[in-house]
Amino acid sequence: MTIPHMLLLLPMLGMVAIIAAPEKQAKWISFGASSIVFLLSVVWAIQFPEWRSGRFWPEESGAGVMTRFGVSLELGVDSVSMMLVLLTTFLTPLSILGSFSSITTREREFYGWFLVLLSAMQLAFMSRDAILFYVGYEFTLAPMFFLISIWGGPERRPAGIKFFLFTFLGSVITLAAIVYVAVQAYGATGVWSFRIPDLVAFCNNPEFGLSHSQSTWVFGALMAGFAVKTPFFPVHTWLPLAHDQAPTAGSVILAGTLLKLGTYGVYRIALPMAPDGAVALCTFFAVLSVMAIINMALVCWVQKDVKKLIAYSSVAHMGFAMLGLFSFNPIGVEGSVMYMVNHGLSTGALFLCVGMIYERYHSKDMEEIGGLAKRMPIWAVFMVFFTLSSVGLPGLNGFVGEFLCLFGAYTASHDAATGYPGVLGPWFALIAAVGLILGAMYLLIMLGKVVWGPLREPEAHGHEPVKDLGFREIAILAPLALACLWIGLQPSPMLRAIVPSAKIVIAEYPAAVERYHAERNAAPVVETLTSAEAPSPGAARPGADSEAQP
Amino acid sequence: MTATLASLCSVLLGAQETHAAPAGAGPVVAHDIPAAITAPELSWAGWIIWLPLLSSIACALCAAFRVKNKLPAFVTVLSFAAAFGVTFWLHRIVDPAQPVVVPLLHWMDFAWGDGNWHAFGAHFSLYVDELTLFWMLFVTGLGTLIALYASEYMESDVGKGYSRFFFGVSIFIVAMAALVMSDNLVMLYLGWEGVGLASYLLIGYYYTRPSAVAAAKKAFIMNRVGDLGLAIGIFLIWTNYGTVEYDGLFRAIEAAGNPAGGWDASLIPFCLMLGAFGKSAQIPLYVWLPDAMEGPTPVSALIHAATMVTAGVYLIARMFPLFLLHPDALAAVAWIGGLTALLAATIGMAQYDIKRIFAYSTVSQLGYMFLGLGVGTAYGACYHTFTHAFFKALLFLTAGAVMHGFAGQLDLRRLSGLRRVPGFALVSWTMLVGCLWLSAFPFSAGFFSKDTILAAAMFDPHHAQPALAWMGLATAGLTAYYTFRVWFRVCAGPVAFVPGDELHGADGHGRGAPSASASHGNDHGSFHPHAPRLAINGVLLVLAIGAVLAGLPTYLVLSGQTKENWVESMMAHSSAALGAQPADSHEHPHLIGMDGHTAMFVLSSVVGLAGIAIAWVLHLGNRRLADRLRGAMLARRWLRWLPTAMEHKWYVDELYHACFRLPMWVGGHLLHFFDKHFIDGLLVNGIGRVPSFLGRLFQPLYNGALQGYAATMAGAVALILAWVVWKWIVGGGA
Repeated sequence: MTIPHMLLLLPMLGMVAIIAAPEKQAKWISFGASSIVFLLSVVWAIQFPEWRSGRFWPEESGAGVMTRFGVSLELGVDSVSMMLVLLTTFLTPLSILGSFSSITTREREFYGWFLVLLSAMQLAFMSRDAILFYVGYEFTLAPMFFLISIWGGPERRPAGIKFFLFTFLGSVITLAAIVYVAVQAYGATGVWSFRIPDLVAFCNNPEFGLSHSQSTWVFGALMAGFAVKTPFFPVHTWLPLAHDQAPTAGSVILAGTLLKLGTYGVYRIALPMAPDGAVALCTFFAVLSVMAIINMALVCWVQKDVKKLIAYSSVAHMGFAMLGLFSFNPIGVEGSVMYMVNHGLSTGALFLCVGMIYERYHSKDMEEIGGLAKRMPIWAVFMVFFTLSSVGLPGLNGFVGEFLCLFGAYTASHDAATGYPGVLGPWFALIAAVGLILGAMYLLIMLGKVVWGPLREPEAHGHEPVKDLGFREIAILAPLALACLWIGLQPSPMLRAIVPSAKIVIAEYPAAVERYHAERNAAPVVETLTSAEAPSPGAARPGADSEAQP
Repeated sequence: MTATLASLCSVLLGAQETHAAPAGAGPVVAHDIPAAITAPELSWAGWIIWLPLLSSIACALCAAFRVKNKLPAFVTVLSFAAAFGVTFWLHRIVDPAQPVVVPLLHWMDFAWGDGNWHAFGAHFSLYVDELTLFWMLFVTGLGTLIALYASEYMESDVGKGYSRFFFGVSIFIVAMAALVMSDNLVMLYLGWEGVGLASYLLIGYYYTRPSAVAAAKKAFIMNRVGDLGLAIGIFLIWTNYGTVEYDGLFRAIEAAGNPAGGWDASLIPFCLMLGAFGKSAQIPLYVWLPDAMEGPTPVSALIHAATMVTAGVYLIARMFPLFLLHPDALAAVAWIGGLTALLAATIGMAQYDIKRIFAYSTVSQLGYMFLGLGVGTAYGACYHTFTHAFFKALLFLTAGAVMHGFAGQLDLRRLSGLRRVPGFALVSWTMLVGCLWLSAFPFSAGFFSKDTILAAAMFDPHHAQPALAWMGLATAGLTAYYTFRVWFRVCAGPVAFVPGDELHGADGHGRGAPSASASHGNDHGSFHPHAPRLAINGVLLVLAIGAVLAGLPTYLVLSGQTKENWVESMMAHSSAALGAQPADSHEHPHLIGMDGHTAMFVLSSVVGLAGIAIAWVLHLGNRRLADRLRGAMLARRWLRWLPTAMEHKWYVDELYHACFRLPMWVGGHLLHFFDKHFIDGLLVNGIGRVPSFLGRLFQPLYNGALQGYAATMAGAVALILAWVVWKWIVGGGA
């Protein structure tokens, strides 16, 4: 029994204990179990020897699950997975602690589902097997579905169903792509395997790997699920509704870690598996990212509901993370991973802050609530702090990711001196950078309405004036604030840890981008050549062609 | 008289020639910026940042524990004074000709390969040269004085916002020190946004007042527009030169020669310029600064007059080698500066709020500084920054004292003859010093610094913009007029005043709330002006002396006491020195029949004195004349637009609202509608309805009647049979 197994099993044991124990104890058991999981993951991170190497650890192969198809419970993390595991285990106890006063019905189920969710998310982040990744990825849906549809707001049913169906539909296509690749690999090598490294190695094999068009289709299909989860611009519409209706803790986990499953999937599976496809579709996805950044920022501006505003801002922010990934160079990918972690911290914290308001006033309408700095100064300090972190103020965490994502996109031109040519370039960064201004705009407008200004409270919130944050609530927000500050001031350990992992992920990209540009520049010539010579469908992979030519 | 002036001038301007680079055609390349040496042993210089940081933490703790005394002010003043001491000591021991890099902490660095362009590094390190120290000396010095002033000014807030105020001020000094002392552009960016944050928090100090909240927001967002330019500039610099550290950058520029870099290198100065224009309130991003006067007056003095708004000047002075490579960029800086100076002066002439007039004068004076940078005299720009910091801080603090004493009254039509009001004599006379210096009264420090800029604009061999020099002269006249309009109205004339509508002295509380004015109303009988006490008066006096002494470097040179102007020699060894071009000794410039520099002296004296004289006639000699003049202008249809537009600030806010805010707001609503009803409503829900629609389509077959099932069965069997037959045929055929 190693630590990763314990990280998966402990929440399950906690759930069993919750079922057995009286209902009043449920929250404490769940908080205790998730805290132990957090401590364990910290111990694991301290033991973790591969922070600077990009290798996975532990290396040994796991127990077979479906041995006939080569599915095995192989758990292992590299530096990036480790960070996301830590993010998950860090946010979960805090959001459980944040639910203590707001969840008053069916507590046993709520906290039980929460632990299941924790287990599923960790499975997805730790699994090295595509099928088990998929299992964890999909299994997060069930607990979240129940969290939204049982403890959510007035429109919780449609919100839960839309959340479930939308993400499920997308990820079925992703599964199809994974299975397709595995079948192809079986056909070529005669061995069944769903291990991500094996699949990646097959896909990038110059002799019998995926052809250009196969690669494009595989990338597109993989993105279908990941883009919905991220959420990506035109397929984001489940998110505002789900966030709006979810209970606070649900929103925190949804924004903090579940969305990262999408970008993590792109990072871990889609990008390494289909470099040619990614390069071919890069412009399309980058345009959508930029549209997400700009459009959603403008949409945020006209929101009246704080929670919806932050939900829409998540779409805009994840646009930055995607743009970073699609720059295909270490700067952008690095920025993107930083963005995943930072967005989890600051947006999670913002949802917690808004939840604290909702608990007190049962409203999150900016027309009704305002000027709360007068009533709740401690809360106001945290709210301003996390908003500034979300705005990307240098010195706080948000800046590092945002700056590097834009920087990565900027340097991702075909003649970049970084050694990693790309498809994007200054224009993408310039337009996306307008998002910096718009981001400051809508977030400061939100602050101006909710925190500053004359005090406005809803009529029907009760007779006693609401109280400022109590000890428990400060204990939830303070660790998040410290984390934000620490990452903002000392990002170097993280940055240096991400580099080797990122280099492995984008290892195939310089060549793929070269092929792409060569093809585009020589497009008419290639056409005449292929029409003149006999077409050879066997050597469809353009890489093989270009490498064969002197 | 003219002869003495001429000799004075030649000494003054001759000093520029002593150290300048050898004459040569074309822009000077960065060959005389010495390579920096790394000096970890100077890490105590970091205390210039750590001390205000400690004070900000202390103030935050004071706020958390609800300290109800003046402890935060005490801590802040002490730490700023200590930071000033450290700066001064550093200035004493550092070799002026040798820039030093002092590493403090790691920040962001990672590498994905070897060599240039394969690593990115930005650390918390200090680049200490004379330009840095020059800036830090007046930032920490004025910071100390203004914090001391604020300790009395803000006293009605003790136990309420007092700790928060000093927290903001401390954070500001931390960020400003980071901005000025950083050795790379990313840390500069950190300070750049950090001062923006401090500015946001302090403009919005009276956060229950909607106008203050709006002003704070506007300042931050306008600055973000500039920050965008700075960020893009940093990307461009890295892609072109492979580093964001000053030392490496200067070396790279030197190595690349002129012109450097690719096509996009020529965009670098324009991007940096945008950042500078945002922070330093120049066209097109100046509109936030007048609104920023919603903050407490010490904040206006420290941040929005003396220090933060000069960050743009610092940025361009620091990056001067880059700007010199692109003469177009310098010309753009000059034109923007000159036009801003003129525009802001015209608006300032028609305002009635004293603080707003001073705010527009700040915008205008910053315009002069950019004009100076644009015509190649970074020394002139820096010197003007220095003198301006003193006299403008002084003016704001006197305005604050008036506000403090008269319950927030700032309308110059409602205040008169303050110099005869008991307790306000010192305020009035120090304000006179500030006004004289701002209006560039002959032989004041403001006169010398402004004249350096105008002379360069007229005669600089490489970057001269004579049109802008004439415009700058005209603006100087306007400046003198609107400055003395304030003084003659407020401090001179018969004693008469209407108190403001605030219960207690400090500005802001309950402005606009009718209950606050109930106790005072406009009841002269019960109102006693609240005369400033020791801290305020002392600081005013020190600042006035400082403003006088700011001219000292020039006086000493003029009187032959010293050969070297110390401000100029401080500039001489920094990146800002490169602009100083030798005046060509063969052809001495001439203007209106005199030696060129003498002519500039005479012209600007005449223009300034004329402005003061007109202000005297209209606002002291015969105040009704001013009103009649305005009435006459408003009565004539063809002239009416002029005073109206000037009083409405040329409608620039309205223009921005119509051009940017409104379309974006409409766009936001449209996009939200599109998102909700098209993407979600039509596409997503539409696809979601397909299964149920299909279900309904086939429903008649499954209605429970036997025929339906039979028909389905038969159809299915037929399909299967057809498929089997087809396979058999194909198989048989093959």
